[in-house]
Amino acid sequence: MNHLVRAPFAVLLVMASASAQAPFSATYDGDRQVKLEGPVTRIDWVNPRAYLFIDVRDPSGAIINWAVEFGNPLDLDRDGWKPSALGIGDVVVVEGIPTRGQARQVLAKSVVLTRTGKRLFAPSVTHRASAPPDPAPRWPDGQVRLGPPPGKKGYWGAASFKALVENTGATIAIDDDGLLLNLSDADRVAPFLPWAKALYLYRQRRRLQDDPIARCVPPGGPRQFLTPHGFQFVEQRELGRILVLLGGGDRNWRIIYTDKRPLAQAAETVLSYYGTSVGHWETDTLVVDSVGFNERFWLAPGGLPHTEALHLTERFSRPDLNTLTYQVTVDDPRTYTRPWKGGWTVQWVPDEEIQEYFCEDSAESTFVR
Amino acid sequence: MPRRAYHLIGSLGWVIAILSLLAQEGHPLTGTWAGDWGPTITQRTHLTLVMNWDGKNISGTINPGPDAIPLASVYLDVTNWTVRIEADTKDPSGKAVHIAAEGRLEDLSSYHRRIEGTWHQGTAQGDFRITRD
Repeated sequence: MNHLVRAPFAVLLVMASASAQAPFSATYDGDRQVKLEGPVTRIDWVNPRAYLFIDVRDPSGAIINWAVEFGNPLDLDRDGWKPSALGIGDVVVVEGIPTRGQARQVLAKSVVLTRTGKRLFAPSVTHRASAPPDPAPRWPDGQVRLGPPPGKKGYWGAASFKALVENTGATIAIDDDGLLLNLSDADRVAPFLPWAKALYLYRQRRRLQDDPIARCVPPGGPRQFLTPHGFQFVEQRELGRILVLLGGGDRNWRIIYTDKRPLAQAAETVLSYYGTSVGHWETDTLVVDSVGFNERFWLAPGGLPHTEALHLTERFSRPDLNTLTYQVTVDDPRTYTRPWKGGWTVQWVPDEEIQEYFCEDSAESTFVR
Repeated sequence: MPRRAYHLIGSLGWVIAILSLLAQEGHPLTGTWAGDWGPTITQRTHLTLVMNWDGKNISGTINPGPDAIPLASVYLDVTNWTVRIEADTKDPSGKAVHIAAEGRLEDLSSYHRRIEGTWHQGTAQGDFRITRD
């Protein structure tokens, strides 16, 4: 596995940024902080981001209405928070990160109700504690199950890393959006061809503001396993296929055919975000080959480019009930000088089901002034 | 404003929104580009360029169709996103005409990214501007 060092500000923002559609760095200025106090005028408990609005008196005495982004409703609900935790007229103190532009908008690090001193909407520390590491569940014939054990619920949740980089053992400082702290590390991210490196750096310098996922474009390629709301495998063995249901990315789905069909990419194939996938089992590892990708998405957060020549080989294994190991080989000779590998592990979320999540393009633009 | 005009503006907005949603995020030159070149604002000649990156070279065609001109070379300088295009054709009398254009990629992250620069065709020269379709 790679040694990724996450940026400190990313760690501070677990509460809200994990669910944001647009990369944090593109919207918010992590070098600044503000403290606001005022009465709540409105609460928007909507996907993908919940907002509250407060009236804040500025030094001149004028009342300014601020929008406060404070998390994703699904995560908040999972942590036990409801919209009723706060009422219109309640006075709150908000500490957070302001936007880069002139918008009166802040990403909350903390929201405190002044009349009780209680901190609201903080993430739960214990709620997602790992279940005991039971062995991986298996089908009657002994093959590993990628879904829940029989009669139980669960899905795959958070990945151990939020970025895809080449598995070389190098230490790369990178935040959860895939933004490098040192652009000189670009050569260690992947073996780029010159044009691809230049494009990657261009996207990095623009702080990922052009990220297609901010426009609700499906997270194709490895990125589908890095979306905030997890994924689920539905193994339809009698039909020779495995469905991958995504919690994020507009609840997209993907089919991995396991009926031994060849991986032939016909010239007339309609290129797609998830490509055409065929899989087979090698002992306890599902090996999936995919081709036929369009060029309308970034391979992973951070702006990794690819072309229609992309061929992915993914390897999924489940060493125990709670752990999915994901390794991917990226082979795109029009973008990279050679095939390269990356990957991460994913944590099982027991006894829960993926909740409804859908992407809304620039939802905040309807009310942020 | 008449209702039909509102509908037209609304429809154009949707088209722009959908196209921006479907931006091509691969090699910046791959795709079909349309625009014109000419010595003045009023003297313009339509241009359609189709370019494709195969991993080693960028190939393509000027004005696909009966009078198509294959691109002899396309060079992209990624340090400043400038593009140099060369091609050879013939004028109506059969005389060889060399085309050399040099421009800069603008608005790189947009679906409707542009190339703007200078266009030389035989003894004529002017500016050109093409936008990715």
